[in-house]
Amino acid sequence: MNDHTSKQFDVEMEAIRSGVLSMGGLVERQFKRAIQALEDDEDGELIDAVGADEQQINQLQVDIDQQCAQIIARRQPTAVDLRMILTISKVVNDLERAGDEIKKIAYKANETLGSDTLRRVRYYDVVRAARQAEHMLQLSLDALARLDPDAAVEIVDLDDAIDAAFSAILRQLISYMMEDPRTITPALEIVFIAKSIERVGDHAKNIAEAVVQVVRGKDVRHASAEQIRAELAGP
Amino acid sequence: MREIWIAGLAVPAAAIVVAALVYALGGPVAGFAVLALLLLAIVIWHLTQVVKLVHWADGELDAPVPEGHGAWRIPFTRIYRRVRARAAVHRDLAHTIARFQSAAEAVPDGMVVLDAANRIRWANRRAQRQLGIAEDGDIGTPLANLLREPEFIRYLEGGDYTQSVVVPSARESGVTLSMLLVPFGVDEKLIICRDITELEAVARMRRDFIANVSHELKTPLTVISGFVETMQDMDLDAHQRERYLALMEQQAQSMRRLVADLLTLSALESEQSPAADTTFAVEPLLRAVYADALALSAGDHAITLDAGPAATLVGARDEIASAFSNLVTNAIRYTPKGGRIALAWSIAEDGSGMFSVRDTGIGIAPEHIPRLTERFYRVDRSRSRATGGTGLGLAIVKHVLLRHQATLEVASVPGSGSTFSVRLPARRVHRLPAAEGARETAVPARG
Repeated sequence: MNDHTSKQFDVEMEAIRSGVLSMGGLVERQFKRAIQALEDDEDGELIDAVGADEQQINQLQVDIDQQCAQIIARRQPTAVDLRMILTISKVVNDLERAGDEIKKIAYKANETLGSDTLRRVRYYDVVRAARQAEHMLQLSLDALARLDPDAAVEIVDLDDAIDAAFSAILRQLISYMMEDPRTITPALEIVFIAKSIERVGDHAKNIAEAVVQVVRGKDVRHASAEQIRAELAGP
Repeated sequence: MREIWIAGLAVPAAAIVVAALVYALGGPVAGFAVLALLLLAIVIWHLTQVVKLVHWADGELDAPVPEGHGAWRIPFTRIYRRVRARAAVHRDLAHTIARFQSAAEAVPDGMVVLDAANRIRWANRRAQRQLGIAEDGDIGTPLANLLREPEFIRYLEGGDYTQSVVVPSARESGVTLSMLLVPFGVDEKLIICRDITELEAVARMRRDFIANVSHELKTPLTVISGFVETMQDMDLDAHQRERYLALMEQQAQSMRRLVADLLTLSALESEQSPAADTTFAVEPLLRAVYADALALSAGDHAITLDAGPAATLVGARDEIASAFSNLVTNAIRYTPKGGRIALAWSIAEDGSGMFSVRDTGIGIAPEHIPRLTERFYRVDRSRSRATGGTGLGLAIVKHVLLRHQATLEVASVPGSGSTFSVRLPARRVHRLPAAEGARETAVPARG
């Protein structure tokens, strides 16, 4: 009887984790579409698809949160199981926010068309930063699927790279804006896009840090890559 | 069995004989004492054999079977034989499994085995690469946790496995995978993933081609029907009518050229073997191409011909002539008035022949060069149509050269000119005797 109950519990936990990861898959697809909208001009369809993905993501957030609340109320999990559930509800929040940012990227992408001066920034630097953020998101979801805390080091490093890319884009845009005031409006839109990309990277980093917390029971938020490496090298 | 009885009873029997002797010599007490001692020794010896057997049974799986003595020799040997037979079966089985696995590795498609809860049981190396599955760590992980593409999750959970699902690979960018799920055994599933990137590319090329052809035909047609409408609706004087008809004629010409090029291209593509090889002299062909060039240029360019060493070629003369003149026509189109165009024929050390067209035209940026022979690929759309190109010339050249195992080399500096060279393999080129050749090279290039 007891054995049966705990097995049922394991199945429920596994289902919640798979639910989060499929939500992550949705965010990944949404991000791919948003990047495509950045690369190719026009295509209202793509932007509609990003919006539709966003609604699905919101729905999944509500569902998974409810599942988490239920499992806490019914099973009163302790120790690692409780940690897992708390982490999952954090990850769900991060994914939902990332989805919001991605939607902003896609919508803004449509508004920055037609500025020839800024082509290079938009089609090269911004897209490159977005690809990096996409890779980060993939790595952090893989880390959650495998419960692999070691991936956090690489992800934190990548986050630093995206932050650097963001400030480089900003500097470039500022010089364009000073040269020609007509570029100010589209340049500001691109700043918002780059900021959103940087935010997606931050959410991916949060997910990776949450994985470290589940597996090692250590809170590594606000820690540098070096500190995390030292933490992971410990017992 | 008798052996066991004989071996087992011989020792106690000997003990009884010894005890009887003692009984006869030393009286009943000594006799029974000796008998008791000997029987006890025999029991202890038997027990040590049993202990040896139990020790072996508890030990390592592949520990050798110990040797037995006396009556125990027979059961120990039997066990040994059995163990050996079992080991042979085991080896055969392991061999079969290894063979099966290496066959599964050799399959060009990725394969993943899932259990009832869709957890990864096994994946061949290709699937590991395609789907990012780690060989050691990911066994037992639900596949949908790693392959999170929503389309795939819907397919996996949907239960309708009659068709495959097409998903972009998350691990190798630009790769498209087609995944088919095949249920087998009790609740197990085999997933076959095939890389269909190339198939997709071919399908896209076909779509693009049709879209391009329709577009290219529509443009002149729109112009013609526009003029027709104008002429129907308005009273035009003779001069205007004349001008409109001339413009319509021009558009009709360009449509005719396009259709002719399409037919040439499709003939080149559909015929498996090249047209019958004939042997023909290079020089007359060069002269003909040169004459056409002079006519087309109408004095706008300084065109020269270096006929080089006399030789004959083996191949389809018409095809090679059309390839050469396509290159020359391009050079004339893309070279502004007053530019120079040099045609040259030469034979290299290794016997291969080379026809080159060098111009002082607008040149081509390096990123466009690899794509020049694609059908309808244009560096600058407006210019190409203005000069009357169909967008198929270099595609025709490419196909002709492929059929003659020849290659096209393009060197270009944007702004200062391009050189297109055709290299024909040595076996298709035969140099004519030197005396005659010398006379040929002596002919000065005209232009």
